[in-house]
Amino acid sequence: MSNHSSTKTQPAHLEHHFVDSEQQFDSAKLGMWIFIATEILFFGGLFAAYIIYRVWYPELFTMASVELNSLWGGVNTVVLIGSSLTVAMAIKSAQLNQKRNIAINLGITITLACIFMVIKYFEWTHKFHLGIFPGKFYVFEGIAHPKANVFFSLYYLMTGLHGIHVLIGIGLMVWLLKRSLNGDFGSEYYTPIEITGLYWHLVDIIWIFLFPLFYLIG
Amino acid sequence: MNFQHHVSSDKLLLSVGGGLFLLTILTAGVHFLHLPQPWSIIVAMIIAVFKAGLVALFFMGLYWDKKFNAMAFIFGILFVALLVGFTLFDTLFRLTPHPAF
Repeated sequence: MSNHSSTKTQPAHLEHHFVDSEQQFDSAKLGMWIFIATEILFFGGLFAAYIIYRVWYPELFTMASVELNSLWGGVNTVVLIGSSLTVAMAIKSAQLNQKRNIAINLGITITLACIFMVIKYFEWTHKFHLGIFPGKFYVFEGIAHPKANVFFSLYYLMTGLHGIHVLIGIGLMVWLLKRSLNGDFGSEYYTPIEITGLYWHLVDIIWIFLFPLFYLIG
Repeated sequence: MNFQHHVSSDKLLLSVGGGLFLLTILTAGVHFLHLPQPWSIIVAMIIAVFKAGLVALFFMGLYWDKKFNAMAFIFGILFVALLVGFTLFDTLFRLTPHPAF
């Protein structure tokens, strides 16, 4: 009908408003990095609150941190780093067009993320059992400090927001796994895995800071 | 196949992962040394920044990526530093520092 250049064979994933796959990939990635910047600001507000209260009540943070189990915090750190590694492996598998390995690595990542949430669940419910609730609901009497609830309000807010991110990550990874089993991804197109990988590594970085800031004090 | 994306080798990814595991053990080990007050947090944060740097550079690929993406990341961190810095100018120098709540 016309001698338009789009008569060249177009890959199915390429949207019409991009010049080529490369431009589409780079745009998606830039968009994700901008989103990551907003995520840093999102968590940054809570980190600011943490710093201000730690400077005001340094002794409280030393006393209250004892109630957190640094062994389980450490195990969760290892679990999350392991899941970051498998996401990076999934992206590498896609780049090398090893379609089976994409699904295997995503499966391991989902499993590790679920292990993280199970450990988090047991940590939280153990504290609820002791009466360690955030803010005015705090009824635990084991810490001799009038502001003990402040530490745990920050703990619940920061690990809670992080946990929500892990749950969203699990949802995204299940979607990626389903699509990879459909054979949607390979060396020609793996943008969703790359983008979700960036998100997942950010969640890992946040935890790398939360672990020493809450579990390893004093 | 016409893409020129950087493909990380298994060896690199596993070394970075191994490095992160070792640094996690190191930060826990330093914790149990019970360093005097300002040093424990300083050492823990240096290790955490180093770990975050490894993740950002190699897992997130900033090392090979367009510099503009790294800029977005760094600007996010700078603006958090601005928020923390300016808030501390207030909260560090209050005459009645502890608010009731």
